[in-house]
Amino acid sequence: MDTVTRRKFLQLTAGTSIGAAAALLSIEEIAAAASARPLASGTPILVIVTLYGGNDGLNTVIPFKDPIYYSSRPDISYKQESILQLDSQYGLNPSMAGISNLWKNGKVAIVRGAGYPSPDRSHFSSMAKWQSGSPITNSKSGWIGRWIDSQPDDPMLAISLGSVLPPLLAGEKKVGSALPLGGLVIPKGTIGADFRKLSLPSTSDSKLRSLAANSMKDLFNISETITPILQRPEPKDIELPTVNGGNAGGDSNLSQQLNIVSKLIQADAPTRVWSVSLGGFDTHANEANAQAILLGSVSSAIDKFMTDLKSSKHGSDVVVLVYSEFGRRVVGNASKGTDHGTSGPMFIIGDKVKGGFYGDQPSLSKLVDGDLSVTTDFRDVYATLIEDVLKSPADKYLSNWKGRTKFIKAG
Amino acid sequence: MDLNRLETARLFHRFGFGPRPGEFASAISVGVAATREKLFQNPGTDRGLLRVSEPVITDLGQRPSPSDPNLAAFTTELRRQNIELITWWLDCMVLADFSLQERATWFWHGHWATSIKKLNYALPMYKQNQTLQKYALGNFDEMVSAMLDDGALQFWLDGQENTAKSPNENLARELMELFTLGVGRYSETDVKELSRALTGIQVARSNGNITFRKTRFDNGTKSILGVSQNFDRKSAGKLLVSQPNSKRFIAERVWFRYMSSQYPLPANSKIESAFEGREIRDLLLALASSEAMRDAQYELVKAPVEWFVAVCRALNITPSKLNKNSALLNFLNKLAQVPFDPPNVGGWPTDDAWLSSASAQFRASFATWLVAQGDMSPIENSKTGERIQKIADLLGVVEWSARTKSVLEGNVKSPKLLVMLAICSPEYLVSA
Repeated sequence: MDTVTRRKFLQLTAGTSIGAAAALLSIEEIAAAASARPLASGTPILVIVTLYGGNDGLNTVIPFKDPIYYSSRPDISYKQESILQLDSQYGLNPSMAGISNLWKNGKVAIVRGAGYPSPDRSHFSSMAKWQSGSPITNSKSGWIGRWIDSQPDDPMLAISLGSVLPPLLAGEKKVGSALPLGGLVIPKGTIGADFRKLSLPSTSDSKLRSLAANSMKDLFNISETITPILQRPEPKDIELPTVNGGNAGGDSNLSQQLNIVSKLIQADAPTRVWSVSLGGFDTHANEANAQAILLGSVSSAIDKFMTDLKSSKHGSDVVVLVYSEFGRRVVGNASKGTDHGTSGPMFIIGDKVKGGFYGDQPSLSKLVDGDLSVTTDFRDVYATLIEDVLKSPADKYLSNWKGRTKFIKAG
Repeated sequence: MDLNRLETARLFHRFGFGPRPGEFASAISVGVAATREKLFQNPGTDRGLLRVSEPVITDLGQRPSPSDPNLAAFTTELRRQNIELITWWLDCMVLADFSLQERATWFWHGHWATSIKKLNYALPMYKQNQTLQKYALGNFDEMVSAMLDDGALQFWLDGQENTAKSPNENLARELMELFTLGVGRYSETDVKELSRALTGIQVARSNGNITFRKTRFDNGTKSILGVSQNFDRKSAGKLLVSQPNSKRFIAERVWFRYMSSQYPLPANSKIESAFEGREIRDLLLALASSEAMRDAQYELVKAPVEWFVAVCRALNITPSKLNKNSALLNFLNKLAQVPFDPPNVGGWPTDDAWLSSASAQFRASFATWLVAQGDMSPIENSKTGERIQKIADLLGVVEWSARTKSVLEGNVKSPKLLVMLAICSPEYLVSA
């Protein structure tokens, strides 16, 4: 394994958790920014969903007409009748009804065989390549981070849900912000007023004491127009399976993360990029049930997210990207699971998306070292998203990468 | 500012985990020198620690296969042991009489930052903690030698992947960069050569036992920092610790966590030269006796665990008895600091990293929960007119600003609110 790469991944994480620019935001701060400078309707918004652990692409977009699929993994293949058909040869995992409906409405692009040259089978190294967007030179910054570098200073520009910032939002000079989730009981009434007084500057304050005071300033500062939106009930989180290798990162509550993102988008938060995640895809053992529950959670959370936004003025502005650090081996292992593999499908979802398949399905009869080949470089997808969603020149952030995949509608 | 109060508060909060009821006021009356002497006095048997029952942590062996009916029981027990490990150590921090040692162990945990997230098992982490306890105030050369035999550290930094045939540089690099010398004080060739010297180790993950395998060891000559010989991990460790840069580096790290992460350790300071013999206690004593202790510019923010443990000591709370463990872990998790789970091999951040408005919210919520379960009698038993001063002494706060004083004055009749506001105040959150 390439330890230097793993180390860079760690440094990237370290660099983002230390230092003045790595802000942890509160919902109230975002809400305050939303009412002070609301995002104009029509401004495209990118929502990035990272699946940690390596999602098994062959059991996500299933080639149900291919006999090799069934002979390679007899224990963990899906029968044709249970699959949600996309066309005459491919279908979605039976748990993905929500995304299947979005597909029928022409809102889902599936990029098949996505990856990068010389695939790395380490979670850390491979995720570092996907998040840096530079699989060859292993840049320390993230592909969205470099875009953040080029934008005017704004802590609201790109926000990750959860307390740890993913490397993808770390630029060379600036970083995105993190919004930790849940579990708050905020003191109310007089005690709230007392807390606000504690946040006032005092002439005797040292540098750190005045920073400490200032951090309490927005504690109770919820704008009245925002409150009703934020107070709508949260969905119950479904029980997710505990699987081997859950230490590959990612959070466990995707539906709650997307619920908050949806509310903040509806509240006009001036945020162009949101990052959410789900972990647990490292299904070395007993894969079928675990992956189905996880994919079901991804599918229903995204479906609900799109539905919630439909009636809002930003409903047509949102583009969702779903990816994982690698796919899994074609042949199942002895524990009814699959080991680390190579390429896998990426999903791009939204009103602006031209639904359909992009990129060739890697052939099951022409494997490379027992793994699927890479038919589309993920930088094609990133470049398209930077140009057509973030409306910025992609060359600058992806070392002049020339490939594009035209899954966004013109205009 | 009253410099005697400042120095006393720093002795309690930085070299220990904060005063227990009554301790600060008596320390002020006996003076700084006597307080420091008491702090550094090893009681032999720590009576406070005797009140903490040993955690039940066992070797759970390999994870059962998914079809094995024992899998569910295994997972439940694994989780129970992980939680017990964390609450056990928090109990030690709160109940120890010899705080200097607990606090130093906490420092070294952040230094050799190893995460249970990768190990998964509690036992190897527990063993590493015992090693850190043993050498926390001891000899650094011996500590490095013991840590190179530590299964948790070896596994965390891929030591078991490092063989003569296929070297893995992870541990070698961190050993020089983060644990002994500091970045830029060695070359890339030194990293490669050191990784050869560290080869041969295999780790049993579930218990942290290591085995040395001759066949995996690179038995050739290595050239590290200009010295050529057939180094193994022991002799290579000794070479690193003997470098003048290791004296400098450890003094810098202790300064960074105990004194200031905003201002560097002054060059040629007595603090550094006190570490000539690589005795950690000597280094800490030199720091605790230095002029810097009375210099108000060297402020530090209490990290979440330090804040929590100090509150527990003042309010007579035993962490494992809080209702309930899962809520405690949730709060620590939200504040982004859970023992045994540092964010990366560099350890936790400092100062302004802990001062976001999100963490202010979680801290307010945490404080409300803690105060409801704490002992308010030192405040309840004092007259309302004396409570503002009483709570400064209870918590070991140097002085209240006019702002905080006025907020506290409005709440003198309600001890719980008074304590809640005081522990959330900038004067408490920041160690002056």
